[in-house]
Amino acid sequence: MESLHAFVKSLWAASFVLQVVILCLLVFRGHFRSLPFFTSYIALNLCQAVLLYAIYKRYDQQSDFVHTFAWQAEAITLIAKAFATIEVLRRVLIAYRGIWGLAWRLVTFTCMATLLGVVIAARGQGDWATMEADRGYHLIFATAVLACLALIRYYRIPVAPTYQIMLAGFCFYSCMKILANTALQEFLYQRFTTSGEIWQTFSMSVYVVVLVVWAVALLRPLPAPAPQDAALPPFGYPQTAPELHYQLQAINKQLMNFWKMEEPGS
Amino acid sequence: MNYYLLFFAGIGVALLAVLAWLSFSGIHRAARGDLGSRPEREYRHISYLPQIKQSLGQADYEYLLARGPAGLAKRVQKERRRIALHYLTALRTEFERLQHMARVVTSMSPEVAVAQELQGLRLNVEFSIRYRIIYLRLVSDIAPVSAINNLSNLISSLTVRMETAISSLGESAALAAELGSPHNGMNPG
Repeated sequence: MESLHAFVKSLWAASFVLQVVILCLLVFRGHFRSLPFFTSYIALNLCQAVLLYAIYKRYDQQSDFVHTFAWQAEAITLIAKAFATIEVLRRVLIAYRGIWGLAWRLVTFTCMATLLGVVIAARGQGDWATMEADRGYHLIFATAVLACLALIRYYRIPVAPTYQIMLAGFCFYSCMKILANTALQEFLYQRFTTSGEIWQTFSMSVYVVVLVVWAVALLRPLPAPAPQDAALPPFGYPQTAPELHYQLQAINKQLMNFWKMEEPGS
Repeated sequence: MNYYLLFFAGIGVALLAVLAWLSFSGIHRAARGDLGSRPEREYRHISYLPQIKQSLGQADYEYLLARGPAGLAKRVQKERRRIALHYLTALRTEFERLQHMARVVTSMSPEVAVAQELQGLRLNVEFSIRYRIIYLRLVSDIAPVSAINNLSNLISSLTVRMETAISSLGESAALAAELGSPHNGMNPG
């Protein structure tokens, strides 16, 4: 514990306090009823911090036991994070059953494709297996969340600012972790003896910023989930969508004809 | 420089840029056309098609070239280019209106077909790219004169097609407009 830089310690303390504040907001404002998985994620993070503090205090930080324990605890919170994000996405898309179905397929496809890319890129990086796995997770996570955000934007689905901030916070943290892990593995480790501290300082600073933004966002009341009361009948889409796409295709074809017509020498 | 570092740092920065774009760029709903607006406004350019066709007629241009004073044919040519640009803009408005309608239908459907939606996305990307290229060529005056002259033929063939499309879309538009009002006013989340 003593070897940890004072600044990292203060960041750790700040993140702990902020997570307690967020947990209090979730409980006392009743948000935990709407966001049980997000509440669990914050609670698990707090438990992780307390456990790690105790372990670091008792054992040598460089020992295999501490290393394994820390990463196993991290894995649990990462799973909780995925569930919390799916929960927020579901809250946003609950009134749009068709889009929700589309988002699920998109997330599955994005995760599979990114996982394949991560596995290919990580080949031969055995010494850094844990960091690779962590970066791979954040890469898959950020890509999937961004794909869903793009889908939400494409269909112009209104998103409550609180949910938007929560999703952006998750995604921002993952993007920064990709950068931090890459910098540590490829740059910091070879050049600085305190690379671990630099990595921790960067990661914790980003997390503290995300927590502050989340805390402010959770001060607002959460919107009530809206049922899909203005839905088309089940036969509406199969009847209307092909017709609309046919018309879109027709206009596109006219533009294509214009394009061909413009080719020099035509 | 380590390529591995560059690759993952590039991905991280690209993801951040996409996140920033998705978070901070507003959605321009007004530009996409309102389903509740009156149909005659949306099809305004269609009602002027006969005039546009007349203005782009090859015969008129040849007549001016042979009989008109010097410079007149050039001026007319310039006007034709302007008309072509307006026509392109109208085509884009029509496309965006239809696409907006398709999105509303999709967002209100309990089940959607992935293939159908992918086709819509592909059309959107194709249209955007082509539109920008043609627009740039027309604005920068590098479109061949023959292309502008031949536009009249294209518009002639379009007239029938577009009118048929509009009449068949009438019912869909009415349906979407009817359903669009509660959808737009729905509470977020």
